[in-house]
Amino acid sequence: MVYYLIVCRSLTYAQRTASALERAGITAHILRSPRSISQEGCSHSVKVSQRRLADALVVLNRVGLTPQRIYITDSDGSYREVRL
Amino acid sequence: MIYLDSAATTLQKPPQVAQAMARASGRLGSPGRGGHAAAMAAAETAFACRSAAAEFFQAPEPERVVFTSNATHALNIALRTLVHPGCTVLISGFEHNAVTRTLASIPGVRVRVAAGRLFQPDSFLCEWRDQLDGVDVAICNHVSNVFGYILPVEEAAALCRNRGVPFILDASQSAGCLPVSMRRLDAAFIAMPGHKGLYGPQGTGLLLCGLEDAAPIITGGTGSLSAQAEMPGFLPDRLEAGTHNMPGIAGLLEGIRFVQRVGPERILAHEVRLARQLAEGLDRVPGVEVFARAGLPHQAGVVSFRLRNLDVEEAGARLGQAGFAVRAGLHCAPLAHETAGTLESGTIRASLSAFNQNRDVEQFLMAVRRIARAAA
Repeated sequence: MVYYLIVCRSLTYAQRTASALERAGITAHILRSPRSISQEGCSHSVKVSQRRLADALVVLNRVGLTPQRIYITDSDGSYREVRL
Repeated sequence: MIYLDSAATTLQKPPQVAQAMARASGRLGSPGRGGHAAAMAAAETAFACRSAAAEFFQAPEPERVVFTSNATHALNIALRTLVHPGCTVLISGFEHNAVTRTLASIPGVRVRVAAGRLFQPDSFLCEWRDQLDGVDVAICNHVSNVFGYILPVEEAAALCRNRGVPFILDASQSAGCLPVSMRRLDAAFIAMPGHKGLYGPQGTGLLLCGLEDAAPIITGGTGSLSAQAEMPGFLPDRLEAGTHNMPGIAGLLEGIRFVQRVGPERILAHEVRLARQLAEGLDRVPGVEVFARAGLPHQAGVVSFRLRNLDVEEAGARLGQAGFAVRAGLHCAPLAHETAGTLESGTIRASLSAFNQNRDVEQFLMAVRRIARAAA
């Protein structure tokens, strides 16, 4: 399944992000960022489905939560950064 | 035992606090350290507690709520962030050693004291205003832990704001019963314990950060930016190195929920009503000097007194033998005693909580009468 990972600067920031998305009816799941995308080591990401990314970005923009970086899963299981 | 030492720590807690702590000790891992269920459950509890505190104290966002081990820890972070060698600092005449000793440990700090008279907020504000010029940082206690005196902190903070002086509030005795608003005070920091008026367990405290660029006093793992040699630049991680006190945080969350449920106004009204009963009763006991103004217009649920013919420590010990928990001496606040003129004798302090009842005060007054009669 293809999904997006919104990388957050801290666990608390990821929790705020997920909470804002859930409040808007967008399923969001917090997980530890895969090592391959957590550039500075240890971070948390919020996972959203492919079809809800656009809605998610609108919500996050509205509440002033800025994603650090966003990645999409590739078919081989690797991650590719998404340029917005 | 009748417990009248809630200014030190509230011993009686809502039952949900102990229940949450017991659940936490077997279920919650370490937030941010792993993606497994126990770590994520801990992260949820920590976030719930931060969010509840941010809402209750009107902090702009949960990240501005930092967990500490007590108010002293929180004050140390605040002071060591803003006060540097050679700084001029303005404090109230009712500060605790958590403030005065910390300032004394920073070389070359010049401390100005705005004392005023006990229970006379106008006199305090005059001194505060007169001494603000040239001050780098100002720190004010919201409620004196010795006398229960409520200082006019909103006015003091406004004066600081107008002069561009960073303001730190010590809310050790006020959090949970008086309005403490980050937004209204526009404070650089607000420090408070979790184990007093918020009814959380000992070993918990909160630092509300108006400034993001706070200086950590301990460094180490945060579960974030682990490849970086320095502490993260963002809150709360920057100030929370090491493993969190999850049973404490779980208990504190339930304590905050209790205060929100009952309402701080109701808690304050209850405590002040009992304090008034206590002060009026003590005032009628021959040989007792009580520190209160009629009607307690500027006083929370703390009453200090002394007996003319008996050392305060001896009186405190006799009250302890009679089954009453009070604190005697200087209460780690010699400056407050100096301001009130009680440094030589100290005082006996009775402090109340939401769990005290009229009959506690009645029985205490009877015991004081007996001890005062015997000492006459």
